[in-house]
Amino acid sequence: MKKLLLSLLLVLICSATVFALPDPQQEVAKMVDSVLEVLKRTDLDVAQKKAMVSGRVQKFLNIQSMAERTLGPYWAGATAEQRQQFSDLFRKVLEGTYLNRIDDYSNGTVKYLMQRVKDDKAIVDTSIVQKDLEIPVQYKMIYENGSWQVFDLVIEGVSLIRNYRSSYGEIIRRDGYDGLLALMQKKVTEMENRNSVQ
Amino acid sequence: MLYRILFLTLLGFTFCIADVSAAQPEPAVNIAANTQSGAGFDDFDAAFSEDFSSGKPADEILINDPFEPLNRGVFWVNDKLYFYLFKPIAKGFRLVLPRPARASVRNFYSNLATPIRAGNALLQLKFHDFGTEIYRFVINSTFGVLGFFDPAESVAGVKQRTEDFGQTMGFYGIGHGFYLVLPIVGPSSLRDGIGSFADSFADPLRYADLRTVEYLGVKAVDVENRLSLDHDTYEGIVQDSLDPYLFMRGAYAQRRKAQVGKESYNMNIFEGPVFDSDLLNPFEWFGFD
Repeated sequence: MKKLLLSLLLVLICSATVFALPDPQQEVAKMVDSVLEVLKRTDLDVAQKKAMVSGRVQKFLNIQSMAERTLGPYWAGATAEQRQQFSDLFRKVLEGTYLNRIDDYSNGTVKYLMQRVKDDKAIVDTSIVQKDLEIPVQYKMIYENGSWQVFDLVIEGVSLIRNYRSSYGEIIRRDGYDGLLALMQKKVTEMENRNSVQ
Repeated sequence: MLYRILFLTLLGFTFCIADVSAAQPEPAVNIAANTQSGAGFDDFDAAFSEDFSSGKPADEILINDPFEPLNRGVFWVNDKLYFYLFKPIAKGFRLVLPRPARASVRNFYSNLATPIRAGNALLQLKFHDFGTEIYRFVINSTFGVLGFFDPAESVAGVKQRTEDFGQTMGFYGIGHGFYLVLPIVGPSSLRDGIGSFADSFADPLRYADLRTVEYLGVKAVDVENRLSLDHDTYEGIVQDSLDPYLFMRGAYAQRRKAQVGKESYNMNIFEGPVFDSDLLNPFEWFGFD
């Protein structure tokens, strides 16, 4: 009887894993659509739009994983407190960088080219089409906690996280870990001031 | 009893397998079905190797930069030139010419530079890209009114290839050497700087019998016009990155690597059609496919 139960369980697990995996491409499409929906609304001002986009995008992004991969080799050596501090600042830097540019994309369309899935990792190829410009954007994703989450963007062959990793690593070597955090703090304050001026 | 259990287990596994193949195209199929020839798992795994390597990853150096202090100096000068000279002129372009007109100017220059792209495609034995460039040149120079329009892409969907001598050298395994920030030009490297110099010999403008001043003027119009079409990318980088110099250097190294690496696996000239497009395919006109 035990074996019977076991085999039944096996069947269930098998089918569950297959059916539970949603399409990574659909997940990207959901994210893009939810952002575009906000951008196209005319009843909101820029600050409201930014707040809404930020809230909606965050559930599709794995900020933790982004922060970890940005620090790369330095993540292991950092204390829990330092990691937390870094993750918080990193999220703010990302927000400041991308939310300030959202208006650039309000009248673009997204083409979904292809997706590649292997185990818990996926790459989704898209391109943003805007007037006479077409920018290839690749989403690198991992399957974690029951959903596909974006942990890197590759724009025209340039991986965002890789670029952050190489420049942050250089800053750590030059100014130390605290130097990096101070520089990030300064940048975040600068971004916030710029926002309040606008 | 034992048999029944065995049978059920087997049944279970069969369902499992059936499930896998019946529900959604599973990973392996996905990759095979959606990727162009050649790029498959190798490509896929390489894309993740740096992010998921189990050992402690080494500090990431994307490009050597032994002359960093010098480069930073030139970067600083370029930055000032950009904000106080080139950008204001580009803004003037925006005021004087509507966007479609500027896009046409860009197309014209771009079409004129076909020999550089076609020549380098040929040097890399990328016959498909070579065919694409020749095709685009013929279509755009005629139907596209001397290259001011781009029907090859807008009608036939055949896109321009980016090829230059720096990429050709990269294709044959020559590395950057070291990073170089060139005055006015910006990010480059020993290899790519030499490449640009070599490419200038394939530039038809060089043989247009212009005086140096005229030549530089014509080139400046091209650069300023391109700048006027750009969405303030550089401003964004300066505003948002902790160290714009490092950000630009990393982005340059990554972008060039992507350009060199792309399709370099594709040495087999018989692997694909010579032209991307089903429409306006001259082979079809003559009954070939």
